[in-house]
Amino acid sequence: MISTILQHFAEDGPSIHVAPSGAFHLWGFTITNSILYGWACAVVIIILLIAVARKITVAPKGGLTQFVEAGADFISGLVEGAFDDKKRGRKYVPFFVTLFFFILLNNWFGLIPGVGEAFHRGDNPILRPFTADLNGTFAIGIFTMVFVYIASVRESGGIIKYFKHFFIGSPLNPLYLIIGLLEMLTDLTRVFSLSLRLFLNVTIGEIVIAVFSYLGHIAAPLTALPFTLIELFIGALQAYIFTVLSLMYLAIAVNHAHDHGDQDADEHLLTPEPTPETIKASKAHAS
Amino acid sequence: MDLFAATASMDVIGKGLMVGLGFIGPAIGIGIIGGNYLKAVGRNPEAAKFFGQALVFVAIVELFGLLAFASTFIVK
Repeated sequence: MISTILQHFAEDGPSIHVAPSGAFHLWGFTITNSILYGWACAVVIIILLIAVARKITVAPKGGLTQFVEAGADFISGLVEGAFDDKKRGRKYVPFFVTLFFFILLNNWFGLIPGVGEAFHRGDNPILRPFTADLNGTFAIGIFTMVFVYIASVRESGGIIKYFKHFFIGSPLNPLYLIIGLLEMLTDLTRVFSLSLRLFLNVTIGEIVIAVFSYLGHIAAPLTALPFTLIELFIGALQAYIFTVLSLMYLAIAVNHAHDHGDQDADEHLLTPEPTPETIKASKAHAS
Repeated sequence: MDLFAATASMDVIGKGLMVGLGFIGPAIGIGIIGGNYLKAVGRNPEAAKFFGQALVFVAIVELFGLLAFASTFIVK
């Protein structure tokens, strides 16, 4: 009897797709199921956020408006806090808030029953989460890093000044030259690490849910429920991490650029260190 | 033995080893991060505000475990 059960498991496991597959053709391009889903999600997100933005008032509101408001407030606080100069940080708030909501809602909409294995056309599912496709996350990663590079070049004032930050000392020193080149190389791997992390987290979540709903047979909703809830948490966490990491990459470059600017200005001033507040207070107390 | 040959082939064992061994490192790493975070909070409750940063490092470590899991789909 055990052998028949084992045979059953060995023969047909849950149907798992790691790569996207073509849904239909349009003007010579193959539209894959994840592209289709990404478009649908983008439209829903745009409509949702515009509708919420129209509804926002000074007095707090409940429901969906509150959720979007809390998310936007959280991310804008994070962005402003990451930069030394808050005014400089405020310019980048719209980009990061959009990024956060796009990834967050894409992850969460991917958990809706019906996305994934529910509807089939031939052997392939019709819909597939956009973030569970390496092409999709890679596109997000490239776009983000290009934005970060452009912004940091602009903030440091010229491309040569930007490249100078990779070198600790003079590039003519061979050791500093090699270290600087290695720094540039590690900078380029950020695209891969950002996109692979998001892709793997979401895809493996989908796979785990598929496996457990397969193992549950009749009780599939019961066995898949805890993993769906974990995925709900992981989807939010990954959106947060993607936003925070790309924000840190930008903030490091921008803050570094302005530290150097301040250093040159400080050299002329040569003011003595101001007395810390606590020492002043204790002196006042003693006298 | 017949049953073993029918259900478990060499590549299944290999994949199992790959996932199992690949998860050891990230598990230890996440344990160290979490333990050190709690130690820091225990010493200084003000440090509790760095929970978000601890999660960022968890995500960086976690990537390697996920890579081990994902490579089971590539190995045939």
